[in-house]
This record gives sequence, C-alpha cells and structure tokens, in this order.
Amino acid sequence: MAEPTKKLKKPDVKIVLLGDMNVGKTSLLHRYTERKFKDTVSTVGGAFFLKQWGPYNISIWDTAGREQFHGLGSMYCRSAAAVILTYDTTSWQSYVELEERFLSLTDTANADCIFAIVGNKADLTDSHAQASNPEGEEGTEPARLSFSSSSLQRKQVNKEDAMALYRRVLHYKGLDEKACLPAESMCFETSAKTGYNVDVLFETIFDLVVPSILKKRNEGESSTVDLEAPSTAKRTKAGCCA
Amino acid sequence: METTDSPITSLTPSDQNVLSENDIDSISELEDLLPPSKMESSNESKAIDTSSDNLNPKDVHVESQQDDAVVFDGSEKLVNASKDNGPEDTGEIVVTMLGRGKLDEQGVCANRIPSPLSETSLEASSHWDEDVTAESWRQHRKHVFVLSEAGKPIYSRYGSEEALSSTMGVMMALVSFIQSGDNVIRSVYSDEHTVVFMQQGPLVLVSVSSTHQSEQQLRNELIYVYNQIVCMLTQASITRIFEHKKNYDLRRLLTGSEKILDGLLNLVDFDPSFFLSAVHCLPVASSFRDSLSQILQKAITPNLVFSILVAKNQLLTIAQEKMVIEDAKLDPADLHLLINLIGASSAFQAGEIWTPICLPSFNPDCYFYAYISYLDPPECTVCLLLLSTDNEAFYAVAECKRKIEEAMLAQNALTYIAKAQSYSVSQVGVSDLRHFMYKPFDVPDNHHQLTQFTSPEMEAPYDSDEEKMRLLDLYRDMHGRIHNTSRPLKLIYHVAARETLLAWVTSKFELYTCFSPLVTKSCAINAITKLLRWVKKEEDRLFIRYPPKYSTTSNASKS
Repeated sequence: MAEPTKKLKKPDVKIVLLGDMNVGKTSLLHRYTERKFKDTVSTVGGAFFLKQWGPYNISIWDTAGREQFHGLGSMYCRSAAAVILTYDTTSWQSYVELEERFLSLTDTANADCIFAIVGNKADLTDSHAQASNPEGEEGTEPARLSFSSSSLQRKQVNKEDAMALYRRVLHYKGLDEKACLPAESMCFETSAKTGYNVDVLFETIFDLVVPSILKKRNEGESSTVDLEAPSTAKRTKAGCCA
Repeated sequence: METTDSPITSLTPSDQNVLSENDIDSISELEDLLPPSKMESSNESKAIDTSSDNLNPKDVHVESQQDDAVVFDGSEKLVNASKDNGPEDTGEIVVTMLGRGKLDEQGVCANRIPSPLSETSLEASSHWDEDVTAESWRQHRKHVFVLSEAGKPIYSRYGSEEALSSTMGVMMALVSFIQSGDNVIRSVYSDEHTVVFMQQGPLVLVSVSSTHQSEQQLRNELIYVYNQIVCMLTQASITRIFEHKKNYDLRRLLTGSEKILDGLLNLVDFDPSFFLSAVHCLPVASSFRDSLSQILQKAITPNLVFSILVAKNQLLTIAQEKMVIEDAKLDPADLHLLINLIGASSAFQAGEIWTPICLPSFNPDCYFYAYISYLDPPECTVCLLLLSTDNEAFYAVAECKRKIEEAMLAQNALTYIAKAQSYSVSQVGVSDLRHFMYKPFDVPDNHHQLTQFTSPEMEAPYDSDEEKMRLLDLYRDMHGRIHNTSRPLKLIYHVAARETLLAWVTSKFELYTCFSPLVTKSCAINAITKLLRWVKKEEDRLFIRYPPKYSTTSNASKS
C-alpha cells in the first residue's frame, strides 16, 4: 500500500454509498474490492477508498449508516458524481429511511449526480441470488443452498418500490425523468454475501461517471475538491452538533 | 467502628421504615443481581451479622474515609456509623451493606474467596447473548451498566440490555429513591461486591465489582465509560437529546459502539495507564522519535490541531498546534479513549477514516474531525491520527498523511517501528526486581508535558493473563491506598505471599515496584535507588521529552 505511486493518485470523481445501518454498504464494497464476503463491523464516520478504473481514479466514500454520524453526511456527499442509496430487501424500514434521512444529504452532490437504488441481501429473499457465485465456490455452494433455500425470508421491498423511489428521487432533485437514466437500469438487487449483481452494480456506475470526469477535465476544473470555498466559520468544532 | 442508633436527620422516620424494610432488601437484591421480581418476596428480615469482626478491611477503610458515612446494616435498624454525625452536611449517603451472613445464606458467594486479590476469573469480551440468570453471569469480576434517567438500559458489559431492563429498573429506582430525600446514592458495600453509582447528566452509570478496588478507582473507571460515550456523541448532544425526549433510547445512537465500550472495559482491567492516568510511550531512541516528530511537524494544514502516531497501542509521538498547548493540553484520558477507539474496532483497518470525535477532557461539547489511517496495512499496528477542527478538511488532511507516509518511507521508519518494543526488567540490572511502574511529575522545561509513565514487559511469573491480572490488582490496591482521600500514604512496603511490593510517591514521581518475596527492606531500597538512576539515564528513550509543536498558517481554534 505504501508504494510511492500512491501519492500521485488524485481522485477524479467521487461516489458515495448511503443507507441505513446494517444494510450492508461496507460488505458490498468489500465484496467488490476484496472479492469475498466477511462479517464487517459497524463503520465509524466514513471510510475513503480509491479505486483504479482504467485511467481514472474513482474515490468511494463508504459512510456509516448510524444516526450518530449524520452530521458529516453532507460533507461526504459534497461534489459526488454518483450516490448509491442502499436498502435491505428484508427491511421496509431501511427503504423508508433512504427518503427520510439520506436523500437530503445528497443536496451537496453535483447537479448532474447519478443515483442508483440498491436492495442488498437479495440472497435472503431470492433463490437465484443465492445461486450466484462468481468466484467459483462450487464446492461449498450446493450444500449451503439446499439448506438455506428452504428458509427464504419474506421480501419486504420489491423492485417496483425501488423504481418508484428512484422516480421520487429524480423529482426531489428537480430532474426530468426522460432526460435521466431509466429506473430499470438504475435499480439493482444485490447480495454481498453471494456476490450476486455486485460487480454489475459498481461497474455500471463506474462507466456512467466516466463522462463526468471527461466533462470536468474539459472544463479545466481542478480534480480535487476546493477546500477553502465552503469553510467560512473558523470555529467549526461544533459543526456536527449544529 | 462506632455504631450508634442515632436517626438520620435528612430522612424522615417514615423514610427510615421504608428504607429498612423494603429498600435494604432491594439493595441487597441488586447486590446479588437477582431479578427484581424476587424483591417482594424478601421482605422478612434476615439474620445479618453486623459485628465488626465480620468486616473486611476494605469496608472499614472506606468508612473511615467517609466521615459522614451512613451505614445501612441490613437489619431493621438504620445506624449511623460515622465518626461524627452530620450526613446533612453533604447531602450524600454511603450505603454500606454489611451482610455476609445474608449473602452466604442466599448462596450467592459460597464459592468466593474473600481475599481482595485472589480472584482472577478473566472473561473474554462481548457477552451480549449471555444468559443473565445464569450463575456464571453473576460471577463476572466487574459488571458495568449504563442507563438513562428514565431507567432505559443503554449498555451492559455482560448480557443483553433487554434482558436486564428490570435489573436496571431497580438500579434507577434506588437512585431516584435516594434522590427524593435530597441525597445522592454513591455506593453499596458487601463483603463480595462494591456497587458504585454515578450520575452524569441524564445518564446513570453503575459498577458492580468484586475486585475490591477503591470506590474512587471504580468511579474513575465509570468516568472513562461515560467519556467514551461522550467521545462518540458529545455531552451537549446527549443533554439535548434527553431534554427533548426523556425516554429516548440512546442505543439507537450507540448501536455498533458496544464493542468500543467492551474494549474499553477490558483495557481498563489490563492496562495500568488508566488508573495511573498517564500515557505509555513505546520506547525508541530519542533521535528516531525526534525524526518522527519532525515529519509530523512538517505535514500540516490549516486547522490541524493534533498529529498523533500510535504503534502497538502505545504512543510514538504527538505533535500539537502551538496555540492549543497554551490553552489546554491533551489529557492522557482523552488519548486513552482515542487509542481504545481505534483498537477496539476493525472498522479503522480499511480505507481512510474521517469521523467526528469529541475529546471529553479537552471540550466535552464539541467535535474534532479525525483522520484515522493505518500506515502498515494489512498488519495494522502503526496508526496515524490527525485531528482537525474543520469538518471539510478531509482532503487537505489526507494530503498530510501522504507526506508523512512518504517521509517515513524515505527513512525506513516503519521497519524501525516494527522492531521497537517494550523492554525487559532485566535491562535495569537489579536482581529481585520483577516489575515496576514509574510515573515522573517533574519534566523540566515543559510543564505542559503529557503525563507519562514507563513500565517493562510483564515477564514470568506474570506472563499468564491470570498472573498479570493478579499483579495489576496488587498495584491497584497500592494505588488506591496511596491516593486514599482521607489518609493518603507516601510509602507502602507490602510483603505478600508471593511477592513484595513497594510503592512510593514523592513530589517528583510516583513509583510502584514488585520484588521477589524474599527481598529485604534495605535491599529493596537499594534496588530503587539503582532503578531511579537507570530511569534517569534512559529517560530520553522511555519518554517523550519535548513534545513537538507546530503552527498552522491560520490560527487554530482556542477552545
């Protein structure tokens, strides 16, 4: 990690993972970057990752879903090119929270920010999500499958709900639905546990943010965030309490 | 101990009745950690031996320190055991349960050994799914509970909060009952357990301990627990939340943080830096420490306040904004909380973390913004913390980290750090000396110095967890006696069965030493002279002598 090339990396674009606690944001990212599922611990604040995508450096903010860290939410979202709103398919509450708590945090994101609605833990509700094993773990998979397919949980949030949310998000942002990406292609159901749809999700979004990198470069903007601009108050220690 | 029947003026006679008949029983129920449903059934008085020869020295000790202590002896009478009367002077009551007979009768402590230091049932962390009705649950050395004023459970060290809601309800009932008499419940004593209550704003913290630590030590530990919660939420927001909604369930904000509190309580048990209120530095050559400090001093950005380098849970170096040093220094307690926070959760081991953090001793109501990143993944032993007052400063601070990383790489610093380790007591060259803890007060040139202490590795015979804990318990006992508020001691020479200990506090240092059991007094004193000489010679390596400062271009905040 400490190779000298690292310091040269400057993030070209920012993607933020938002969603209630325990929906699996960190697990999704871990599944994508480490190609495996592990029981992660509750995220503290926000964790910053850099992902090389072709010639571009994509920064990903994996945020804590806990209310405790709500204060920094808009900071993590500032100038984001894409926001991944994540819910748990087995929890209607986690879906409701997206609109109630997290949508307003995206006010600081780019005007042309891309939204994706992601229902994680699909393996708990869909047998085909359980079967997915892109890493070729055939050896262990069938046994587990036969065991768990009988214990499918009731799906609380359907893809139609996600698409409806997507449209409400666009409406909230004052965007014209026809000018934006269609709901069908921006709503995903994933499983960080089995890897189902995880690569598709991240790679779709990476591909979609590339144009905004090019656009930014053409406009000659600095690729880093302007630090001096928003910080007017010097005494910002209480910022989070406010 | 003088026992009289004089009534307590701050309580009405009817209060006495209620107290003696019901609440004494509920106190002892709590003490036994039995479910409160049993409370009603225990109204009949029980034979309790209150003769003074049944008191263990600890009880006597504590009472003598509380001149105005009120003792409930568990019989139908309320007795005032204070040397001079006057509980109304302070408005605080020490409830002392002297009920060995009763506890034995209930079979709770049948297998307990009364010696203060013989118990070492060491438990692993995180017992949230533990059966709270099981005997093993009651046998834990030290329980810690946090609840809200409305009696809502917030945290329990062992067992789930839900399962304990009725027990916590009893605790709150006790607190508010004593409160209704314009008093404050501070502690409950039995032979086997000390129950310490502490109220901090809208939170009530309770420690139920069989460690025979002093009340003050247990109270300090509860303060650490409270401050760790404040560290995550700030005192101002806790107060605001409960002003807004009295029966708010604080666990909503603390979910995922239980591990951090569990980790803290384990550290409190095993790490002497907590009761010494001092920071343990990783010993490295002073030239190397200086070069690390210089690296930190050079990598700065506006509003950066503290740059902290931690390795193997010990401090390597800390650089501070100049203005801050003049205003308020970093308290060792805050540093303990930070080190626990990063050590207790693996969440910090991936990516670069940016999170609000409050330093309760520095300012309990406001957040710093902390950049936390390990410099040596995947081993994750060397951790960099950069604290800023600007919540938007992530990218600037992350840039500082790259500079630090680059400079450390150029000096091959990580390799040196990996080799650095604590020292062996044999390096001191004093036979019979097994272990020591040395905490200097007089660091010349800089009275703003962070309080530090030095201590060698615990080696045989203190290499097992049980033996380590036993030695730490001995140290804690000595520490408690040295810092006894009513009868502080300067020097203790303690000959125990398996070792001899000498504790000595002067205006210049506080020293705890452990010798083999056969050492003579003169031999021990000679050894200490040699030890002090050795520490003096090595102090550049053992301590951060001159904490580096920097000045960021814009003026940093004054709290």
